[in-house]
Amino acid sequence: MTAIRFHWSIPGSGVKDALRGAVDRDHVNPITDLDGQLELCRRADEGGIDSLLLPTGYQRADPIALATHFGNATKRVRYMVAVRPGTISPTLLVTQVNTVAAVLGGRISINVVAGHNSTEMRYYGDFLSHDERFLRSDEFWTICHALWRAEGPVDFTGKILRVEGARVNTPFTGESRNRPELYFGGSSELAADMAVKHGDCLLRLGDTPARIAPGLAGVLGAGKEAGLLFSMLVRPTRKEAIEAGHALIEQAGDGAKSVQDKFREQSAESVGFAATYSLGYNQAEWPEPFLWTGLIPFMGPLALALVGSPDDIADALLCYRRIGVTQFLFHGRPDLETLPYFCQEVLPRVRAKEREEGLLPVAGTR
Amino acid sequence: MTPPLRFHWSLSSVGDPTRRARATTTISGTPIFDEYLEFARQAEDCGIESLLMAFGFSRPDPIAWSVALGRWTDRIKFLVAVRSGITAPTYFVQQINTLSTLIGGRVTINVVAGRVPDEQRYYGDYLDHDERYARTDEFWQICHALWRKDGPVDFSGKYYRVEGAILRTPFEAPGRTRPEIFLGGNSAQADALAVRHADCLLTLPDTPRKMAARVGRIVARGTEVGLLVSLIARPTHHEAVAAAEALISTAGDRSAVIHDETRHRTDSVGYRSLYDRAIRESSWRTPYLWTGAVPHFGPPAIALVGSPDEIAAALAEYHAIGVTQFLFMGYPDLPEMQFFGAEILPRVSALAPAQARRPGPD
Repeated sequence: MTAIRFHWSIPGSGVKDALRGAVDRDHVNPITDLDGQLELCRRADEGGIDSLLLPTGYQRADPIALATHFGNATKRVRYMVAVRPGTISPTLLVTQVNTVAAVLGGRISINVVAGHNSTEMRYYGDFLSHDERFLRSDEFWTICHALWRAEGPVDFTGKILRVEGARVNTPFTGESRNRPELYFGGSSELAADMAVKHGDCLLRLGDTPARIAPGLAGVLGAGKEAGLLFSMLVRPTRKEAIEAGHALIEQAGDGAKSVQDKFREQSAESVGFAATYSLGYNQAEWPEPFLWTGLIPFMGPLALALVGSPDDIADALLCYRRIGVTQFLFHGRPDLETLPYFCQEVLPRVRAKEREEGLLPVAGTR
Repeated sequence: MTPPLRFHWSLSSVGDPTRRARATTTISGTPIFDEYLEFARQAEDCGIESLLMAFGFSRPDPIAWSVALGRWTDRIKFLVAVRSGITAPTYFVQQINTLSTLIGGRVTINVVAGRVPDEQRYYGDYLDHDERYARTDEFWQICHALWRKDGPVDFSGKYYRVEGAILRTPFEAPGRTRPEIFLGGNSAQADALAVRHADCLLTLPDTPRKMAARVGRIVARGTEVGLLVSLIARPTHHEAVAAAEALISTAGDRSAVIHDETRHRTDSVGYRSLYDRAIRESSWRTPYLWTGAVPHFGPPAIALVGSPDEIAAALAEYHAIGVTQFLFMGYPDLPEMQFFGAEILPRVSALAPAQARRPGPD
């Protein structure tokens, strides 16, 4: 029985950007807001957020370097570094992650993304198909795990990757682990298989508890965890939260819609993105009283939002907890306001409810 | 006009002065951060412009390590080693650009082709020496195209292919759109590659007379030449020679065996020939250029040995043939670097006031 763990995604477009996802990624400058991002990291550090996601992509700064930078200025919060196999040798990835761990006392975990956009993967010299990318990911993490086990030189010959006598003399240190936690993102069966084989937690785009539950059986049955991604619109009352949501749509305007049309097309090979987009375009706006699809056509698949008062949100999170979801990754709108508010108002309510339902470990909560 | 002299130091054996005498498999890749940081701060005070962040399986990752050291230092630059074939060029540029924004642009690059095929295979790289150079050429074509930022980059070569590549993280340093690039090597391929892609070739030293023609050819084509060389300087000539000889006895018997093994594993032209000559020939090439430690510490242990006046004169001799940069190692590093900063650098400046550039904020 573990307490629910909460993660937050660091925005590239600005910690005060309530319209996250609405701007064409070709126009994002990921470094103009570094001080704001650092401020968000400090708030997360103080507020009880477990880790901060540093996504990867051409419109992003490098997550490994950023994790080292932000981690130097914080004490407790961890950094979940997004990795795309295919842009780096597994042996070097392990060296980089272990080096960051050495500097940050082990405060690094990994978010594995297979890449949802072949066009962008070709920027990086990666011309494999969706399924081939999963095969390579499988080989990649097989090599990384072998290096983390540190049982001697690693030999591996796969269809795509090969190493011989590989060793890394910088071990992973910290948090009484010998490797970082691995989160596998993706909504396809392949992604779930990968999480079971190589990971600690499957991270999926949110949906209703009823639609999420069946897809988790394999992962939970294998003793792995499941996590969900949501945007969060939380205000003192549900009415205010809903109003805030509609104000965002006003603000985003029709320009944001055409950005999504382009991104929807580019990311069509991602099972999860496609499904969430169609939620936003085709389905009821409120599949649950706490779940709103209204932002998706303007801000993309990561804009599926939990909406409500602190009590509403806490109740919603417990609904997912009951089907076995133990981790959440949030986007705030905007992040710099939402994260501290979540930590102050929602988190204590969640802990109280977990305690009531006997979902907390008896002693020594995280 | 020959540019002024610039000085760099290798951070690679800080806190572990005998590491070059040991087998790399036995060396920890997690050095003590505070020792590195202390060294970096001392380097700033000693007039050193940049620190070499070496690459290898017994090293921490140079990029992450530079972010961490850069946070607590002000002026020193980090000369980040990179081997092609291990990271996609687009991702490499993204990492370097990010590093540049985090530490005020204090990053330069040391391109190395990799000299031990065994170790390249740790990373999944199975190419031979000549192919590695051909791939390195493609790698840097792509990197330069990304740094020029004149639109999406398409490239189709034998080893790399990218399509429509763009990056949104710019390289940020005062007055620059890309990092300064050093290229390490000793073969004809290395010279050609340096001229094509780098700002400075870093090579192992020979006597000024033997190097002059090669240096002249490279400099004439607009690329600087720097020397990767050890430094053994003491108040007097006799003390310096005694320190050099004492160095061999500290290395121990195993060290020569280890480096003999390395010599047989490397396919680096420069390493092999320097090593072989060090075994075969007199250990004093000139009154100040000594190869006696090479069998025990490897080819980068070829050393300038002497008093401060002698070393300053030696540097001037190299400067006269067109060598403008030096990347030093010491045994151990810290006292050697402090002695350099206190005793040699002022003499270099005195010999020719315009000769030595003490780095300041750009």
